[in-house]
Amino acid sequence: MQPAKILPKSAFPGWIDFLKRSYTVVGPKAMHGQTVFGEIETADDLTLEYNQSVIPPKKYLVPQREVLIEYKLDGTEVEAKFNEEATVVFGVHTCDLHAIKLLDLIFSKGFTDQHYAAHRDNTIIIGYECLTTCGPESFCRSMGTASAPESAYDLHIIDMGSDYFIQIGTERGEALFTGYDGVFTATEPDYARMNGTLSDKWQRFPYRLDVDVTEIPDLLAESYHSDHWQELADICLACGMCTQVCPTCYCFDIRDEVDVTLSVGKRVRSWDSCQIDSFALVAGGHNFRETRAARQRHRFMRKGKYQFDATGMVGCVGCGRCATACLVDITPIKTFNELYRRQQQQPEEVEA
Amino acid sequence: MTSLLDQTRFSESIYKPTMARIVDINDLTALDRLFTVELPDGVYLDHQPGQFVKVSVLGVGEAPISISSSPSRTRQTFELAIRKVGDLTGVLHDLQAGAMVGIRGPFGQGFPMDRFKGKNLLFIAGGCGIAPLRSLINQVLDDRGSYGHMQILYGSRSAADLMFKDELHEWENREDVELLLSMEKADIDWPACTTGYVTHLFPQIELDPRNTIAVIIGPPVMYKPTIAQVRNKGIIEGNIWLSFERRMKCGVGKCGHCQINHIYVCRQGPAFQYQHVKDLQEAM
Amino acid sequence: MKPKIAFFDFTSCEGCQLTVVDSLQTNVGLLDMVEIVQFREAMTEKGTDYQIAFVEGSCTRESDEDRLRAIREQADVVVALGACAHLGGINAIRNIYSIDEVRDEVYGDKGEWYETYQPRPIDAVIAVDAVIPGCPIDRDEFIAVVTQVLQGREPRIPDHPVCIECKLNETVCMYLRGEICLGPISRAGCGAICPKYGFGCVGCRGMISNPNLESMEEVLEQYGRTLEEARAKMSMFLTYQTLEEGES
Ligand SMILES: Cc1cc2nc3c(=O)[nH]c(=O)nc-3n(C[C@H](O)[C@H](O)[C@H](O)COP(=O)(O)OP(=O)(O)OC[C@H]3O[C@@H](n4cnc5c(N)ncnc54)[C@H](O)[C@@H]3O)c2cc1C
Ligand code: SF4
Ligand code: SF4
Ligand code: SF4
Ligand code: SF4
Ligand code: SF4
Ligand code: FES
Repeated sequence: MQPAKILPKSAFPGWIDFLKRSYTVVGPKAMHGQTVFGEIETADDLTLEYNQSVIPPKKYLVPQREVLIEYKLDGTEVEAKFNEEATVVFGVHTCDLHAIKLLDLIFSKGFTDQHYAAHRDNTIIIGYECLTTCGPESFCRSMGTASAPESAYDLHIIDMGSDYFIQIGTERGEALFTGYDGVFTATEPDYARMNGTLSDKWQRFPYRLDVDVTEIPDLLAESYHSDHWQELADICLACGMCTQVCPTCYCFDIRDEVDVTLSVGKRVRSWDSCQIDSFALVAGGHNFRETRAARQRHRFMRKGKYQFDATGMVGCVGCGRCATACLVDITPIKTFNELYRRQQQQPEEVEA
Repeated sequence: MTSLLDQTRFSESIYKPTMARIVDINDLTALDRLFTVELPDGVYLDHQPGQFVKVSVLGVGEAPISISSSPSRTRQTFELAIRKVGDLTGVLHDLQAGAMVGIRGPFGQGFPMDRFKGKNLLFIAGGCGIAPLRSLINQVLDDRGSYGHMQILYGSRSAADLMFKDELHEWENREDVELLLSMEKADIDWPACTTGYVTHLFPQIELDPRNTIAVIIGPPVMYKPTIAQVRNKGIIEGNIWLSFERRMKCGVGKCGHCQINHIYVCRQGPAFQYQHVKDLQEAM
Repeated sequence: MKPKIAFFDFTSCEGCQLTVVDSLQTNVGLLDMVEIVQFREAMTEKGTDYQIAFVEGSCTRESDEDRLRAIREQADVVVALGACAHLGGINAIRNIYSIDEVRDEVYGDKGEWYETYQPRPIDAVIAVDAVIPGCPIDRDEFIAVVTQVLQGREPRIPDHPVCIECKLNETVCMYLRGEICLGPISRAGCGAICPKYGFGCVGCRGMISNPNLESMEEVLEQYGRTLEEARAKMSMFLTYQTLEEGES
């Protein structure tokens, strides 16, 4: 790893202006009491001390709607489309960095998804260390995601009061300072200050799960037949908000869109949700996950077990967005804790 | 020469189809048509029986369709048996020979022919399950010496719903194939046709359970009762193979639509060993 | 031969037809694909040899039924255009009163002179092949549906809640703003435009086919709202459906 940089806060706005010359810069912005990732013009637009953005920054890697191919209907031209906009995403929280690491694995495993890869290649990720936990719904400490994972960021920023300590993740991250002279190389006392800042933070981060993250895959496996799924289903609206806001949800639909003269068209990918009725519906009207209980179970199994089986990473990073979004208060903290409580109470109940 | 899979995988995008020409269309039943598709020059299909391709009509959409021709009879052209059930399949049925369709694939895991060699084979098809099974049957017939006894049980609603009638007659006439039909309405003059479901054929067959591989492909409702019959004959779980249909969008393990519990049907299936899926609640 | 299309209006505000006129401005290509033979908003001639019929407005009297049947007879494809045709819509609000009460209220002592009955969606009278929901319809959805009809396909509209689109907009939920919103039980496809501009959804695109109504009641309770308030919101577009539910 390259030695870290120190950026005085007074130099921060100038650095953003400097980046704006070569990149589209996006970051967390305050909007009606929420935080939303959007394009920023100056450093003033940024809200780095934010709770949790409504939609995670995954929207810059897997857009809500993305044209995959464009074609003429007669088949004479079929062209794949890729993102080419060089973007810097500022202020990505550590849980979201973990989520990006998971998306990297999913979209490269087996078949490489070149559209995701193009976004990743053109998108520079600048992480931002949380020094206080965001809201009562987040449980990053329990999930082990309150520190930055190494392979997901290009730069990672730690606020040290008067200046920023900036860890270098990649060469292209470091290159963001090339030609900018307001930044210094971190010295030993800077490292000591940084470590002090980090070790102070843990007391502000409570564990919110009763179960250890390493036990979650097994807990879910054993809870497959739990009655709890039906209890969740009774109140679930099947609205799909929990999956739309989740940084590790990536299920998608692909549809064709045609111009009205029936000459050209495009194949478009857009976010889908396993919580909506038609997700597993096939010809003949057979629906393989017809009940809301089956869908709630699938969602939590995916988060807690299936993605772990597939990638080695637990699919929930503890950001709490789904809990904030849900109108009926279905939350991963309550769900995991309740499943754990039942498992502890009657281990034989789940055997059946 | 490039295989279609390489073409799909290493072109700019895994979602970009290779345009192929429909060279022939034949009616199989009122709802099913057999499409012969020809890949562009220099591209060939290399597949296992049981694998599928994603077929698309530009401007309409894409659907997974099993390859119905056998690898032994497939190179630049291959066959798809398609039932008209909805949006895309409806448009496909309106196409004429000469029309272009997009093809990606072949995707998924087919049946491991090497493991079937030397064994007796019990093939069981319900309804349009015969389309993928035909790929397997013809592969065996073209390499008949490598396999043991072969029994085909095919359940259909009525004579009008039977697919591949010419081939059925051929199989019927072969010494080395035992073909039994069942029909809910047995309105056909056929040497071995039973009224009822495919499960009603089991009392009529004899087999050596230890050396027989059973392959079952049919509509969702068929699996449980049929597996029960196969198990009843003494065939062990490891020798029972199935193929599943699910909603599929990407075909390459990304979109999440095809999942049965943790399994991606498009990548780990559609052909499965019963042993590996029997405990998955969402499987059957 | 270009397919011939015709527009018909029944009881409605004609806002949806205006939206059609509007969408033609930005999609002039459509005029190369079809021949419009009847469209009161834009022309005076009336051709009767159409294949595709767009019907705006709800059926509000006996004689409407005959007109609808004649349209069904002629057209290969009948499309319900907008909430009035799709749901009965605003016209059906009065269905909570008896027909005599309505007559007295609207026409006073001349009530007997006017022909009217309980307003209903057109699919209560004739089979409908496709629906373009909304009050008014969405321009892009209109073009998309027409395109699919021209391709010989059966257009499909979403069947999941408005909330999903609302979240994509990153809008602050109306419930957090102290307002009622029918988003969790209403059909998406509008881009959750009402919450985006600060209004609770009133379900102008109809209800989803499998709403969790009990849970919806709990949401109302949790945010301190009553079922009556929600019913009042629902009456705007969903009176016909609510009454049908009640009877069955
Ligand atoms: C591995 C595999 C192999 C297959 N092999 C074959 C084969 O060899 N031959 C063959 O004919 N078929 C095969 N199929 C099935 C085939 O893929 C489907 O029939 C096809 O996808 C249907 O597409 P469609 O656009 O015509 O139907 P769709 O229009 O997608 O509709 C089909 C059904 O899906 C439901 N549906 C889908 N979307 C919606 C919506 N938005 N709203 C309401 N309902 C909806 C409806 O129930 C409808 O009847 C296979 C499937 C798989 C997974
Ligand atoms: S959940 Fe934890 S890591 Fe994520 S933003 Fe909140 S405090 Fe930071
Ligand atoms: S957000 Fe809540 S109500 Fe909506 S689908 Fe998710 S769990 Fe169900
Ligand atoms: S499941 Fe919920 S808490 Fe976990 S990562 Fe997704 S949105 Fe965050
Ligand atoms: S404002 Fe309405 S549509 Fe949006 S999330 Fe809230 S309830 Fe759903
Ligand atoms: S938010 Fe509701 S009322 Fe508004 S346009 Fe959409 S469906 Fe209609
Ligand atoms: S079809 Fe997309 S994951 Fe299997």
